[in-house]
Amino acid sequence: MSSWFISHGAAFIVILPLLMAVITALLPAVRRLAWFTALIVAVLVALVAFIVLQTQIDVGAFIYRMGGWEPPHGISLAIDAVNAPIALLIAAMAVFTLIYAEPAVDSEVQRKKRAPFYAAFLLAVAGLIGMVVTGDAFNVFVFLEVSSISTYTLVAMGANRDRRALSAAFNYLILGSIGATFFVIGIGFLYAETGTLNMADMQGILANLDGGSRAAQVGFGFVLVGLGLKLAMFPLHTWLPGAYAYSPTVVTAFLASTATKAALYLLYRFMFTVFDPSFDYVAVTLTYVVTGLAVIGMIFASLQALFQTDARRTLAYSSVAQVGYMLLGIGLISTLGLVGSYLHLINHAVVKGGLFLSLGAMWYRFGITRISDMAGLAKTMPITTAAFTVLAFSLIGVPFTAGFVSKVALAEAALERGWYWAVAVIMIASILALLYMGRMMMVAYFSPPPASAMGEDGRVVRREAPLLMLLPMVGLAVTSVLIGVRGNVYLAEVSENAARVLLPGGGL
Amino acid sequence: MTIPVKKKPVKGPVVSPAGSDPHVLLRVISKFLIPLIALFAFYVQFHGEYGPGGGFQAGVILAVSVILYALIFGLNEAKRAFPPWLVRVGMTLGVLLYGGTGVVAWLMGGEFLNYSVLFPDPIDGQHYGIIAIEVGVLTTVTSVMIAFFYAFGSRQPQIEDGEW
Amino acid sequence: MILAAEISPAIPTILLDVCLLSLLVVTAFAIVRMRSLFAIVMLQGVYSLVAAAWFVTLDAVDVAFTEAAVGAGVSTVLMLSAMLLADRKSTPVPKGRQWGALAVVLIAGAAMLFAVPDLPAYGSATSPANAYVGTDYLAKTAKEVDIPNVVTAVLSSYRGYDTFGEVVVIFAAGLGVLLLLGLNGNAGRYQAEVRGRKLSETSAPTGTAERDGTASAELSTREVEVAKTQSGPPSVTELEP
Repeated sequence: MSSWFISHGAAFIVILPLLMAVITALLPAVRRLAWFTALIVAVLVALVAFIVLQTQIDVGAFIYRMGGWEPPHGISLAIDAVNAPIALLIAAMAVFTLIYAEPAVDSEVQRKKRAPFYAAFLLAVAGLIGMVVTGDAFNVFVFLEVSSISTYTLVAMGANRDRRALSAAFNYLILGSIGATFFVIGIGFLYAETGTLNMADMQGILANLDGGSRAAQVGFGFVLVGLGLKLAMFPLHTWLPGAYAYSPTVVTAFLASTATKAALYLLYRFMFTVFDPSFDYVAVTLTYVVTGLAVIGMIFASLQALFQTDARRTLAYSSVAQVGYMLLGIGLISTLGLVGSYLHLINHAVVKGGLFLSLGAMWYRFGITRISDMAGLAKTMPITTAAFTVLAFSLIGVPFTAGFVSKVALAEAALERGWYWAVAVIMIASILALLYMGRMMMVAYFSPPPASAMGEDGRVVRREAPLLMLLPMVGLAVTSVLIGVRGNVYLAEVSENAARVLLPGGGL
Repeated sequence: MTIPVKKKPVKGPVVSPAGSDPHVLLRVISKFLIPLIALFAFYVQFHGEYGPGGGFQAGVILAVSVILYALIFGLNEAKRAFPPWLVRVGMTLGVLLYGGTGVVAWLMGGEFLNYSVLFPDPIDGQHYGIIAIEVGVLTTVTSVMIAFFYAFGSRQPQIEDGEW
Repeated sequence: MILAAEISPAIPTILLDVCLLSLLVVTAFAIVRMRSLFAIVMLQGVYSLVAAAWFVTLDAVDVAFTEAAVGAGVSTVLMLSAMLLADRKSTPVPKGRQWGALAVVLIAGAAMLFAVPDLPAYGSATSPANAYVGTDYLAKTAKEVDIPNVVTAVLSSYRGYDTFGEVVVIFAAGLGVLLLLGLNGNAGRYQAEVRGRKLSETSAPTGTAERDGTASAELSTREVEVAKTQSGPPSVTELEP
């Protein structure tokens, strides 16, 4: 049986959630049935994703021929050191958020809509994994759409809480569709240039053409802009704060930890595998455009985060800034830079997912979304606040947390290239992170709880989040510390392998 | 045409004076047309291997026949002919039929969607596999298109003549 | 496919192409300039029909058929039924906000024109798209799938995984409509609950409606506008104040 998973696991982790989503949509509104189905599916997917990762480590990169057709005529899934860990990351985050979902969705989604809601969630999971594992450029677009369309719906489901979720979802829909259109136009130009849709094949042909003609260059531009919209590259991030702030808590946590990450993976794939930094136009774009936008985004989005009144909007702007770090790693075009970028991608998924989960728990208990309302949470919800604090330290980059490891790796990469100013930008953005996260923690720890939180005898009444919410939150907080303490043992190796696959020549 | 919807009072069904049904021509003609449209859909479906067409186009055409029925005879009549629960089940069934073909290929020892392993002769397998998945496409596309129409149409209790 | 290739005339169809393409451009401009949504929906149907005709002259009959059935057919009807829930006229967008969109369109268009000189000639048999995988499909289909329509063989067998994904996309769209509108038009009346109580009943800092007043400052004006128009349809129950 396990040998079957070794040879078919790559397809299984996409197909299982897809087909189970379709079945879940029809499940009756029996208590917890839909939730339990979705959770079991996510756990299975995570297990098989782990088998796929192990297989990849054992045998190296391999492909899965869909329909039994050889590439480039058929579609193949291509697993290598870059995407296998990200597929596992997405599946694992789906497990974490789905454990949390039971109480959260219970309070946010009406009873008879829960089954379709979980169906849409599973579709989003399947779409994200599908676009990560595939080795075919057009197939990326198809699964991008699967994940996007279900995500738009999930964001709009936040309207049960706040009507502004509808306009946020509409904004996201329009900008996301524009992004997808740009991406598919780019694929069209690449097809005109190379005559193939298989990414490995495209890579070979483009390398032979030494970067190709203007058609390839224009295709490159369109793909970059399309993916930039999806991953919230700085000036193209306007959909993100609304979508994160108003969608249901589970959806925010899952989106923040996976959606932009999958798009970022695609950017790695296209910038370094399909195209190559040895082509002039790629090197120039990465060095000047991507790096420039990354740096502006890091500072500007951090400043915007500082001036938000809503806690979830603060974290959303912080996400835009963190994407800047990852883009900076790409812009460095070096193995070290990619290691830093990849590490930061994984760390940020863990950290931001956990942060949004704990904010969601605060909403669940007290209906809080504004920072000023977080007063006294350290006393009323001590465990949630503790998890929030650990994760916030990790976001800031305090030593012995995940954020520290990746920020140091990025700073080292910048020093190697001689970009001292980039180190300064990393420092400034981290200080800004300290300010905006510190603001929330100050309120939570040092402001007295509101009178409504006091019991009859004038003492603070503890109203901790339910166990199902605490488990994933604390789990992610512990993970971020583990990465910080022992991260250089395992994760650094994973990142180095990924960076070596992406940049076999070692960069500029 | 310019009056915003929200200000319009909700009226009951349009009652026309006896013997002066303004849509009598439409009703008579569409009674002939609708079966033909559905038949054409199936022609497109099963002729897709020989000429242009296939499950996607056929699904749209089949859905149009139901939508036309709804436009002419009213949404409630259409919902009696093609009930909403059937729409929901159809959406799921189509994807399951498509994915199920792939899963059967898995069980027969091939890759996902490898129709060649479905039958001893790979060419037969390809033929039957394609027919199966095209029926899946047809089912999902038809159901979803009708779902769109039901969802949008049901929000307004009665479609007034002036609305069009 | 094969049939169309056999009867394709020796004389260039360039004149026809120019006519159809200019019709497309004219229709597109008309759609942009129109204010009546009804007319816009109709013109979109016209656009799709002209596009379908143009696809026929490109010998892409399968695409043309899809465009005619989906673009000109069912999506026009769906847009009309969606229009029942909206206003009948579009509100003009302020001039100031049109410049950004214009810039994006101009840059994207200029980028595509920039690539044109290096693209293979129209219909060239030696272009990468025709000569490489495309030619292989023609040879392989007869041997491996054995059905006359190569397009169907590519879509359902060679790239059947893509088509599966597309069916799932359609399912996802249907699921979205199901979740947000409901098939009987009764969705959207539910309110989230904080620890078992309705949101609007909870005390001071939490009520959505109350917060709207203070929070709208941080919203862009456009978001507020959108939020206002969305409270339109009468069947949507509003949040209690």
